[in-house]
Amino acid sequence: MDELEILKKDWQKNQKFPKLSKKEIYRLLHKKSSSVVKWIFILSIIEFCFWTFISLLVKDSEVQKRLDGYDIDHVIMPLIISGYIILAYFFVAFYKNYKKISSMDSVKLLMKNILNTRKTVKHYVLFNLIFLYISIIIGIIIEVSNNVDLKLITAKFTETADYFILYGIVAILTLLMMVLLTGILLGFYYLVYGLLLKRLKKNYKVLQELEQ
Amino acid sequence: MKSNVEIEFVTQVEKHQNLIHKICRLYSNGDAEHKDLFQEITIQLWKAYPKFRGDSKFSTWMYRVGINTAISLYRKSKRKILSYSFDDVSYKIPQTQTYDDTQDQQLKSIYAALEQFNDIDKAVIFLYLEDKSYKDISEIIGITEVNARVKMNRIKKKLKTQLNP
Repeated sequence: MDELEILKKDWQKNQKFPKLSKKEIYRLLHKKSSSVVKWIFILSIIEFCFWTFISLLVKDSEVQKRLDGYDIDHVIMPLIISGYIILAYFFVAFYKNYKKISSMDSVKLLMKNILNTRKTVKHYVLFNLIFLYISIIIGIIIEVSNNVDLKLITAKFTETADYFILYGIVAILTLLMMVLLTGILLGFYYLVYGLLLKRLKKNYKVLQELEQ
Repeated sequence: MKSNVEIEFVTQVEKHQNLIHKICRLYSNGDAEHKDLFQEITIQLWKAYPKFRGDSKFSTWMYRVGINTAISLYRKSKRKILSYSFDDVSYKIPQTQTYDDTQDQQLKSIYAALEQFNDIDKAVIFLYLEDKSYKDISEIIGITEVNARVKMNRIKKKLKTQLNP
């Protein structure tokens, strides 16, 4: 007899499980869920808040106040406005994806929908990172060409013909800062989401391979 | 205060609870994890219950939510599970019992072999053991009927090689 048929017979007849009373089941309904989706939702909201907070922090900083004195609104305003529009877009997209998640879908569709919410937030983080880097570069260019102290230093270096050394140092320091920041962020995401979604990704891959 | 909906739901779950237990048996290691998963499935069923309005049988609906919870939603808790294995409790046969010993040994090794399968395979096996049609299996998993059959054939083959190396 086929192994699975032996198993089937046993499976349907000899299952001994503890029987839960209605009272016990009722109690379970009011326990807190610890589902992956709930965690992704909480973490995503934290991420949205974090990045919005960071951009507000930059806005109120000393640097911003000094930048305000440079008469460069035509550069800053479009950046700020597009930042908010993009934040709104990501938030709506994330919420829509989240609402789509239903435990009544097929296994494959549910996985796809969960991974999609995650993808949206990932894109948001990536966008912010790029936005941050562009801001840093623009900030440096503006500073170098407008800051009086820096102009003096630049002039001094130009006199001694070490102009390129100054720019070289600034460029290397900026690059190092970006690499470090990216490293920390990627490490953080790898730890948090890598662990949370490892199983889901593996299972989704199994289904995708089957369909090929 | 228990509402009518709650009473109705709890009655249905109590009636079909073995189905949840069976899913837990396949997807968890040990008693504590079994209880944990049982709880999560019940919570997810309750959360989805407003959308269930009798267009399918309660048990059919339970398969979907239960399997989805076990595969995609349930997050294994980090706490160390110290309890005994579920298998040890239900399937331990006392030494004095001699009848049908070969059958029991064979079953034990089949159950042990099931552990080697991935989450998706386990879902297909589970639905097969529950006598579901390939059409049902393909709909619940989200693959084509042909692929569900292919999957099942591969599982049978793998099981055979594992049990008779």
